Amino acid sequence: MIADIFKNYKIEERQNASIYTKVGFFILAIVMSLIISFILIRYAGADVKDAAKSLFTGAFGGKRELIESLIKATPLILTGLATVVAFKARIWNIGQEGQLFAGAMMGYWIYLIADTQFVWLNIILAIIGGFIGGALCGWIPALLKVYFKVDEVLSTVIINYIMAYFLSFMLSATGPWRQADSFYQQTPLIADNAHWPLLFEGYRLHFGFVVALIAAFIMYLIMSKTPLGYEIRAFGSNPSAAEAQGISSSKLFMIIMIISGGLSGLAGAGELFGAELRLSSRISPGYGFTGIIIAMVAGLNPIGVIVAAILFGGLLNGAVRLQVVTGVPSALISVIQAMVLVFVLISRVLTSYRIRRIKNVA
Amino acid sequence: MATPDLPTITQEDRQDIFLKVRDLTKKFPLVLANDHISFDVRKGEIHCFLGENGAGKSTLAECLYGFYSPDSGEILINGQRVRLNSPLDAINDGIGMVHQHFMLVDVLTVVENVMLSIHSGKIFLDYSEAESKLEGLCKAYGVDLDLHAKIWQLSVGEQQWVEILKALYVGVNLLILDEPTASLTPQESERLFSVLQKMKVQGLSIIFITHKLKEVMAVSDRVTVLCKGKKVATVDTSKVTLEELATMMVGREVLFRVKKTDTTRGEPILIVEQLRANNDMGRLAVDGINLTLHHGEILGLAGVAGNGLKELFEVLFGLRKATGGKIFLAGKDVTNLSPGAIKRKGIGNIPEDRFKMGVIPDFSVSENLILGQHRHTEYLRLGFLNEKQIRHDAEKSISEFDIMTPSIDHPIKFLSGGNVQKVILARELRLDPSVLLANQPTRGLDVGVIEFFHQRLLEKRSMGVGILLASEDLDELLELSDRIAVVFRGQITGLFDIQDAHRDEIGLLMAGIGGV
Repeated sequence: MIADIFKNYKIEERQNASIYTKVGFFILAIVMSLIISFILIRYAGADVKDAAKSLFTGAFGGKRELIESLIKATPLILTGLATVVAFKARIWNIGQEGQLFAGAMMGYWIYLIADTQFVWLNIILAIIGGFIGGALCGWIPALLKVYFKVDEVLSTVIINYIMAYFLSFMLSATGPWRQADSFYQQTPLIADNAHWPLLFEGYRLHFGFVVALIAAFIMYLIMSKTPLGYEIRAFGSNPSAAEAQGISSSKLFMIIMIISGGLSGLAGAGELFGAELRLSSRISPGYGFTGIIIAMVAGLNPIGVIVAAILFGGLLNGAVRLQVVTGVPSALISVIQAMVLVFVLISRVLTSYRIRRIKNVA
Repeated sequence: MATPDLPTITQEDRQDIFLKVRDLTKKFPLVLANDHISFDVRKGEIHCFLGENGAGKSTLAECLYGFYSPDSGEILINGQRVRLNSPLDAINDGIGMVHQHFMLVDVLTVVENVMLSIHSGKIFLDYSEAESKLEGLCKAYGVDLDLHAKIWQLSVGEQQWVEILKALYVGVNLLILDEPTASLTPQESERLFSVLQKMKVQGLSIIFITHKLKEVMAVSDRVTVLCKGKKVATVDTSKVTLEELATMMVGREVLFRVKKTDTTRGEPILIVEQLRANNDMGRLAVDGINLTLHHGEILGLAGVAGNGLKELFEVLFGLRKATGGKIFLAGKDVTNLSPGAIKRKGIGNIPEDRFKMGVIPDFSVSENLILGQHRHTEYLRLGFLNEKQIRHDAEKSISEFDIMTPSIDHPIKFLSGGNVQKVILARELRLDPSVLLANQPTRGLDVGVIEFFHQRLLEKRSMGVGILLASEDLDELLELSDRIAVVFRGQITGLFDIQDAHRDEIGLLMAGIGGV
């Protein structure tokens, strides 16, 4: 019976899907994932109406909530961009988390040794330090790949662990960076003149958000308008032809990993000098990994990353409100994020294929 | 024009005819690929589909193989209406197909690939049974194939045999071959033809898709000619001439010979000395080759797939490291430079596998036209790609090379093989190379495109470019080359001036018989 029904339909590739179809399916995917999430919330014992209201107001309910969501979106934009540049070339860098920590640590180290009073010099040093720290962390897997053919998935994951434990060592009881007489694994607070300026009086949104937006714009320009972006896209689509026509894959691999790592490193520096103001493992509750999801949801589009990151930033804050109001654990946010990813990926299949009824064939 | 087949089936037909197709129509969003096609295939018949690229031959075959569903029309097997919704349905109804683009898993062995296509229902795979059955098949048809070699280690010609074995193994009644000789040598094609004759005698029906007229004449009992999605006619092969078929297929008279002007051979431009290189398996594939290519000369290389031609070209273009020997371009050592550096020094390359090595499929026509030249100053402005210049040059190339594309922004993956090859040629010639490497440049292309290609090559030759041309189509080499070298097992076993070159002698040398 069911087999007969399937026999009457066939899946075909769509030649051209319009932008309206794409946006329509994207919105549908978000709605579907929220519906499924609310069913789960219902089973967790909360009132769906309260839950929906608290999730939304917590995310974008007012000026303060909106700005808090932008703060969360700041590192996510950068780790999302880091993923875009690598994945576009089909280089599977999943070391954003470790590269983020490396950026924060390098930024902190340079802050310590520079010890300067000038606010803007501190900002510039933090940006450069953050980028270099992350970039080094991306460059190492690239070297391993180019010279020893080590798979980048493995090496970047391993470096995630190395960085997490290295930070833990630096902050341990005998570590050089630990705040004296503190119970926690953390450094002392950053000096006032090294803080990144706030964008609005009375709100925590900091200069890092501007850095993230500029980075997104620059990445958009690089990817679509420069020879480097051309090479990255060519390499991702057909590495054999790219190599055969004179694009050096080993050089390109290193450049991509340096940019990708550097962007994640910037996220770390932003969190350290803009939001957390002291170095500890709390500067990232998994921003690196969420960045991968964001890049996928954004369809590896640098501008799309901004939208997806704000959406996910909002979800993070909404989940906190959800827990306070309804008692549903905020860990549910991981489930919602996963739902969004799954449904967006499904919607992308639906925009590139269509189901057609077979007629007239006996 | 033939009259449409009548929809009635006589008793006589039921016994004789294996497959009957009535009014089959298949539309794609922008094209009508098959327009009310009717024909039949008898038991024990070799039936050719003849037509240019885009005539609808492959689409028609894919409908028979259940890959596409026709929009209307019906298919009858042994007088019974059937619905073929998937290749599995087709196989169950006794139809097998060998595609132009092979459907093999690269990392698996020959035996494993064949096993993939069997649905025995058993939990464990019986390798020994499959192996002995395959050995039997190979022996019966005289196929020399290492059954434990991985697919990526095989030449294109050998992979073709794996595809055919796959279909034979399942035991089909109708075998569809889509451009099967596109990658075979003359001798390999002959062998294929003789195998097909054996199959035919055993009652197997064969649909043989091709655009090569000589093959139609050599192999088929009947031929259905298609042009732009419509059936022109189905005729008995014995009752038509090659010229008549050509006119039916193209819709105009075809020039079979291009004019070759006399030029004097210039100074040596590319010198290859004792070149050695390994293949992917690490075995010696290029074994001490010496060559001298002159300005204004086409040097033809004849060789069967698997004899080192692929590796030789890859070394010349910097994609494979030479393990010994030297390459000199205009007196300068260019051995083991990168592909980019070699290109900058003036060697253009038309790669063997145009889709894999020549273009970026997702890129537009205009983007593909600057591949490898995207960092040249004329395409840059303040560090950004100069969109205006790129588009301007793309428009120019499209009109100059007569590239058929809806627009310069169209992804190249939707273009036909001939147009893709024109894009590659346009791109390589834009750099004004002093040497052009072309490995199988016209493989699988239309008569019209081949004619165009040959004219361009000869034009470049008269302008003094040295051209190294390898082709598995011996007639093409004899027509274009000034000299022909035969490559066998990584060595040059014969070198002829064109006036002393004889088809049979070269064919034997290619097979490793006779000569030095």
